[in-house]
Amino acid sequence: MSTDVVMPQLGNEITEAQIDYWSKSPGDKVEKGEMLLTITTPKLTMEIEAPASGTLREIRVPADEIASVGDVLAVIDQA
Amino acid sequence: MPKSIPVDPQAFQRAGELSFPRIPLHAYDRPFATELAARGTKQMVDILRHMMLVREFETMLGSFKAKGAYADISYVYKGPAHLSLGQEGAAVGAALALEPADHIFGSHRSHGEFIAKGLSAIAQLPAAELRQIMEQHRGGALLRMVEAQLPATTVTSTAENVLLFGLLAEIFMKADGFNGGMGGSMHAFFTPFGAYPNNAIVGASAGIATGAALRKKLANEASITVSMSGDGSTGCGPVFEAMNFAAMAQYGTLWTDARKGGLPVLFFFSNNFYAMGGQTIGETMGWDRLSRIAAAVNPQAMHAETVDGTNPLAVADAVARKRTLLLDGKGPALLDVECYRSGGHSTTDANAYRTREELALWEAHDPIAKFAAQLVAAGVMNQQDVDAMTAAVAASIAAVTRAAAAAAAVDVPADPTLIGRLMFSHEEIAVPTGEVKLLAAPDAAARIRQDAKKARHGIGPDGQRLSAMRAITYRDGLFEAILHHMMHDERLIAYGEECREWGGAFGVYRGLSDILPYDRLFNSPISEAAIVATAVGHALEGGRTLIELMYGDFIGRAGDEIFNQMAKWQAMSAGILKLPVVLRCSVGSKYGAQHSQDWTALVAHIPGLKVLYPATPHDAKGLMASALSSEDPVVFFESQRLYDTVEIFKPDGVPPDYYRIPMGEPDVKREGKHATVLTIGPSLYPALAAAQELEEAHGLSLEVIDARSLVPFNYDPVIRSIAKTGHLLVVTEASERGSFAMTLAANLTRFAFGSLKSAPRVLGSPNWIVPGAEMETSYFPQADDIIEIVTSQFHPDTHSNRRGIRNWDDRDLARKGL
Repeated sequence: MSTDVVMPQLGNEITEAQIDYWSKSPGDKVEKGEMLLTITTPKLTMEIEAPASGTLREIRVPADEIASVGDVLAVIDQA
Repeated sequence: MPKSIPVDPQAFQRAGELSFPRIPLHAYDRPFATELAARGTKQMVDILRHMMLVREFETMLGSFKAKGAYADISYVYKGPAHLSLGQEGAAVGAALALEPADHIFGSHRSHGEFIAKGLSAIAQLPAAELRQIMEQHRGGALLRMVEAQLPATTVTSTAENVLLFGLLAEIFMKADGFNGGMGGSMHAFFTPFGAYPNNAIVGASAGIATGAALRKKLANEASITVSMSGDGSTGCGPVFEAMNFAAMAQYGTLWTDARKGGLPVLFFFSNNFYAMGGQTIGETMGWDRLSRIAAAVNPQAMHAETVDGTNPLAVADAVARKRTLLLDGKGPALLDVECYRSGGHSTTDANAYRTREELALWEAHDPIAKFAAQLVAAGVMNQQDVDAMTAAVAASIAAVTRAAAAAAAVDVPADPTLIGRLMFSHEEIAVPTGEVKLLAAPDAAARIRQDAKKARHGIGPDGQRLSAMRAITYRDGLFEAILHHMMHDERLIAYGEECREWGGAFGVYRGLSDILPYDRLFNSPISEAAIVATAVGHALEGGRTLIELMYGDFIGRAGDEIFNQMAKWQAMSAGILKLPVVLRCSVGSKYGAQHSQDWTALVAHIPGLKVLYPATPHDAKGLMASALSSEDPVVFFESQRLYDTVEIFKPDGVPPDYYRIPMGEPDVKREGKHATVLTIGPSLYPALAAAQELEEAHGLSLEVIDARSLVPFNYDPVIRSIAKTGHLLVVTEASERGSFAMTLAANLTRFAFGSLKSAPRVLGSPNWIVPGAEMETSYFPQADDIIEIVTSQFHPDTHSNRRGIRNWDDRDLARKGL
């Protein structure tokens, strides 16, 4: 079973955000609630936590790329 | 990065009670003989003479106000005379413990403090330095005048004459006064002796002295500032804001290295028991002893003490001890200096609020009589010496008075715009090239890496408008100019509410906290008055200050500080003082009546402030660079609705390199020939939308001019445009009544009357409250409103039926106050 890491809705006026950096690499173990990546909007920088525990299978939007709300940023394989 | 000051519920929910430090009352008990031995005869005799000079000087002023004469001199003095008769011990005692480099900031009742500080500095400064100071003040003009009128045998005597003459000529508003006659009684200063501006607004010096202390700390100066005010000022909110600003815990918890430690500012309250006619103890205030208020400010209770202000030695002892604490980084400190104003608040005071019996009781505590008696009892002087000193002091005040009364008045008719020109120097600094201390290289901030990848122009290759994530925005333009100055100008500091980690409420500073240490960029308390007042003090001491009020609507919270302090010190000092302060104010929307008002007109109305309101990323960057280079104070308005706007006008977008746009130059954003539309701030965008539609639907071309700057303002480009188009519409988001758009329209009607084919129009917001987000389009001018005016009034031959919703009767609304 796998869980998608999705770009969250960051307020009703923000449609996209940039990935600042990933704290984990593909293959790394992650715990639910652990800081996974940092994103930036024009106004603020915020951290996104892992939505589930498991192994980070893939990163779909690398650092410095821009993603829209709802985009799948990464996939976690659950144990 | 968040701060590491944990808020632990366990620690806070523990039962207990607060305790307060003991606040000493009249603890001074050193024997007179001990003081005499320590200070020596000369200094002790000088203390008496200085108190006498203060008293005689003020007696002279009081005499002019009461009788139009003093000694054999007749003079009509029209200005104020808030005398401190009876309070001389406080003024002279404080000055005795201060060094020339310590700076006092006075009140409306500060002639005595001014004279005492000057006399103390003169007594301490070497003759050569005194001479140099007097030679350098206005090219030695004042010195020459005094030497000719008041011959003296020593440099010290000459300096005392310069001090007394310069102050009195200033009080008489003469050209040779210290401030060129532009300050007067309540605004006099002479910085080389450490006498910084007196202030006619009660308590206003508290915030200014605090900001000055901040600069002293940042410049690593081993000296202090003193806020001088009365007991009545403890009723003023800005005084409490200033004390808290001075006591912020972050100086100890977050500031590092040499910058760690409290601000070196002493809040010195000359407590004469009366605030004009209101009695502070027992009537208008809650405190029983003034020093009690310090317990509310910090755990050290500001090292507060109540001391005997009728004894200059007790005052000097306390000030000296507080000064040591302040230099040791333990500031701020507070002194409650109890003294008694034996004279009236002003010369119109009938003493209706106090009894003769009370006045008689305090006669026994007259500081001069008491100190003279102690000197006689100690055998330092005899009564004949005291009488001779009294007579000599009176003679020297009479000589100074005669010279000041005869001095030349400021000749305004010969130079009618003289006073106006003193408001601005129009000077700009070059950006310094030295290294500044940073926490990390700029590219450590994700924001800077992110911005580096953005397009400089807001239109993509296939013609689509780029998002705020993909092109440089108005917010980024501001950031680039601010970053450049912060990276190169160590004297520049920035603060405001949540300016650090949050990056300002709208993210303009986002990323700066990764680069700049706390002493260059910090979070301030929610104290708008203190934010602006400290910025003024910081700038007066040689710093440069960038401050932010989160919403322009909060200008009201800093009314005096913006309108009377930031705006006026350059002119009131005849241009001697410089005030490089940039006040950023965002103009909101969506949050209704108290968060969405365009108050540009309010600020533009006040003489002495430059007022900018850019509408594009290119202009925001270039004008911010000019504002940060300016030696004059600037209020910089930004529209919250424009922060995400990308550059669509300049073909090359926002230049990545540093550049400045001169203040005061309106910019033609779209050329046209059928009507001139002059816009202020974000009104540019509905005007462009209207221009687009009018072009397509009616073949009418609008010339759209963006004002960019309200003060200064060059009318020429607009006059040239009206000569071409024959019609003028000024658009603003401010309420129309009393708006700056009305000023522009009125002036342009006069300047371009011959070219106008129709009456100019102003389109602003209606004269009622800004409604919430859902109703905003009914309030702020829209493209339809512009189209309606252009088609129905300027070009009725278009027969357009396009209508906005403003089909109301302006004259009827005015009758109803709307």
